[in-house]
Amino acid sequence: MAAEIEKNEHIDTRPPVIGPGHNFASLTQKIVDIVLMRGFKKGWIFGFAIVFLGALMLFNTIAYLVLKGVGIWGNNIPVGWAFDIINFVWWIGIGHAGTLISAILLLLRQSWRNSINRFAEAMTLFAVACAGLFPALHTGRPWVDYWLFPYPNTMGMWPNFRSPLMWDVFAVSTYATVSLLFWFMGLIPDFATLRDKAKNKVQKSIYGMLAMGWRGDARHWHRYESAYLLLAGLSTPLVLSVHTIVSFDFSVGIIPGWHATIFPPYFVAGAIYAGFAMVLTLAIPVRKFYNIEDFITLRHIRNMCKVMLATGLIVGYGYLMELFMSWYSGNTYEMFMMKNRIFGPYGFMYWLLILCNVLVPQLLWVKKYRDNLLVVFIVSMFINVGMWLERFVIIVMSLNRDFSPASWRMYYPTIFDFTMFFGTIGFFLTCMFLFIRFVPMIPIFEMKTLLPEAKVDEKKVEQLAEGRGPLGATPLPQFGD
Amino acid sequence: MTKQEESGTYGLMAEFDDPNAVVAAARRVYEAGYRRINAYSPYPIEELSAAIGYHKDLVSLTVFACGILGAIGGFALQYWTSAIDYPLNVGGRPLLSLPSFIPIIFECTVLLASFGAFLGMLGMNRLPEPYHPVFNVPSFARASQDRFFVCIKADDPKFNEAETHAFLQSLGAREVSHVQS
Amino acid sequence: MPQLFHRSTNTLARLSIVLGILLAGGVLWLLLQANRTPFVTQAFIAREQPVQFSHKHHVGDDGIDCRYCHTTVETTASAGMPATKTCMNCHSQLFANSPYLEIVRESWRSGQPIKWTKVHDLPDFAYFNHSIHVNKGVGCSTCHGRVDLMPLMWNVASLQMEWCLECHRNPEKFIRPKDKITEMEWPPTESNSAEFPNGWNQAVDGPKLVKEYKLQPTSVLTSCSTCHR
Repeated sequence: MAAEIEKNEHIDTRPPVIGPGHNFASLTQKIVDIVLMRGFKKGWIFGFAIVFLGALMLFNTIAYLVLKGVGIWGNNIPVGWAFDIINFVWWIGIGHAGTLISAILLLLRQSWRNSINRFAEAMTLFAVACAGLFPALHTGRPWVDYWLFPYPNTMGMWPNFRSPLMWDVFAVSTYATVSLLFWFMGLIPDFATLRDKAKNKVQKSIYGMLAMGWRGDARHWHRYESAYLLLAGLSTPLVLSVHTIVSFDFSVGIIPGWHATIFPPYFVAGAIYAGFAMVLTLAIPVRKFYNIEDFITLRHIRNMCKVMLATGLIVGYGYLMELFMSWYSGNTYEMFMMKNRIFGPYGFMYWLLILCNVLVPQLLWVKKYRDNLLVVFIVSMFINVGMWLERFVIIVMSLNRDFSPASWRMYYPTIFDFTMFFGTIGFFLTCMFLFIRFVPMIPIFEMKTLLPEAKVDEKKVEQLAEGRGPLGATPLPQFGD
Repeated sequence: MTKQEESGTYGLMAEFDDPNAVVAAARRVYEAGYRRINAYSPYPIEELSAAIGYHKDLVSLTVFACGILGAIGGFALQYWTSAIDYPLNVGGRPLLSLPSFIPIIFECTVLLASFGAFLGMLGMNRLPEPYHPVFNVPSFARASQDRFFVCIKADDPKFNEAETHAFLQSLGAREVSHVQS
Repeated sequence: MPQLFHRSTNTLARLSIVLGILLAGGVLWLLLQANRTPFVTQAFIAREQPVQFSHKHHVGDDGIDCRYCHTTVETTASAGMPATKTCMNCHSQLFANSPYLEIVRESWRSGQPIKWTKVHDLPDFAYFNHSIHVNKGVGCSTCHGRVDLMPLMWNVASLQMEWCLECHRNPEKFIRPKDKITEMEWPPTESNSAEFPNGWNQAVDGPKLVKEYKLQPTSVLTSCSTCHR
């Protein structure tokens, strides 16, 4: 079988989306073993311990924040939004790649998505959870955050639906819910596989409950496929809307540097850019540690690099347009904002941003670098940093020198801004560690559809159905003949 | 008590190890006149559901209905709260500020439609159903891995334990097993 | 593969979903309702006072007008708490030796005001002015209830914003003639309806008074900055 696949690949010079030599059983076994057989390896425990320390740092910061108030952060008038909103936008942007991979690439029938979609969706969920923390906590009184939702309260009040901040609440909570549904729905058949593969009673029962009695019924699959495709169709505009609405948080305001019509597309492209960078940052080490190079192949890495390159160029175009518009507008404040951005006290951040987001990723034009995992990893790290800097540039630099020079003030983050930010990274990775350990990180049933023998061949079916010999006994015609 | 439970037989289950074989078998079972049949596979096979005579599901209709409901609900929520229940003048904007209602109408549409897709799929599949007679077949554990099954249920009018068994066997099944109800 | 779960788990699983949703909904509903109960709002709970002062006795039995003690209700934001001197106007003669009134006499001698417990305490972020309400036809009993029947004082209202809005949205449902402001029994019943030969019909007479007293339109009455200044 392996020979055929390789033969087939000669026509298509790209690396395969699934390594050679796999069949239904071996594929199932390999993915399932990561969850069921591998157990708690030293490496996993060590890594988990480190990232969990990060999560603890986050929890402690949150506890202190709730006790003490948001004053422990560095933001103060005129810089009312700083690390909190920067991190929010950064995380939510990272989340976007997951939905993009799982939904948009599904609609575009990109079969290479099948091995990374589960992983990317999980990343979305955890990134959105981290993102959600920041606006929830920056309200100052997080214990009354439920006021953000419309419910018949004793004040007789309703949220102001004309405010972009309300849109944001709805967009982010809808996004989190739909991503969870999509992710869980994809998991149901795989939970059934785990249920059937598990050896001990406890595992069997837990995965059995999660599988809800899935048994691969043909009618069930039919409805499942419809629902899955529709969810993908719904998620596609949803994911575009989320960062659009996040960008409205800024662009509906009248602050120079925020009030720009380019924001929605520019934010969405940035989100996908950051998201793919994060997928690569995580996928490159994971495929190494878990020896799943045959499922996340060079093809995936290359394709993701190309998506990054394209979205990176859009983002670069966005930077250029911001420059142009501030000049073209003829508006004193717009022009001053841009001068302040480039040559002001935080000017080095702008130049760093250009370096990370525009210059370094150009390396990906070269095929040799796209195939070099180390280079790709480093570039994706640069992009992760660059996208964070972009939000810093947009948020802090537009606020710290506003219309009236009397109120200008520099912004300096405090230690708690940093513990909170790095804490969310710890929390995010903690979730990823648990996910990889307890849930199949590669969709088993979707991978099976990529195997050549999975396709039903009408010719052979007809031959068999006409009753030329018993079905099972016939030596099956091999793929490609 | 259904007929199946009385007899203690849910049906007969034939096992195959190839998608082509199972599709062919399912077609022949259908052609032989059996209608209370089902097929099982570890991944979705479009031809298989078609072979057992299942072509159209109602998921998309449910999703559409839920989406419409969400859109109307999202609009109604915003209109009622900001124009009827507590008409507040916010920055001189009209009470019915349709452009600024659009994002939330959209989000509500997607949210409800997604719940429609997920819960509709589960509901129509009658899941959760942790207990099912087919799990009584020992080899059925591989239905989620690498085996394919066709099942003829006992309540099919044409069902006859011995004849059906022989028929399934003639299709070249690896194994035909009796499914306890 | 043996069955993992018993036959009954099918029903159990579906039931638990339905029950879970019902439970979540029920808990939310309960929380919403709990917020409106006297446990939270302290309505209908009599407050202890340093002196066992009974409105029932002074208003109900003696018929003293509200404004005899709460002198500034028609002119200022606060209705005003009576000075000890106001008490002593009568109690230097009546019950002059009653042990219950020792605190009042002590206050009178020392000049230290009595520390009454505030019953109707609005949060400080809400601006409230008694005079505007009294001068636009909102009677005492509309908000404070039948004070003439309360031995010790309690709230009859939740004092929550939705309660304020009830009247601010529909003042015509609560408004009364200005000369009937301190009337305890309102709307008039048979015993005190002599002045309204045609009877008092809130649905007809209310809107008339709203016009006559030139009340601000509802949009102003329910605007944020009317109460939160």
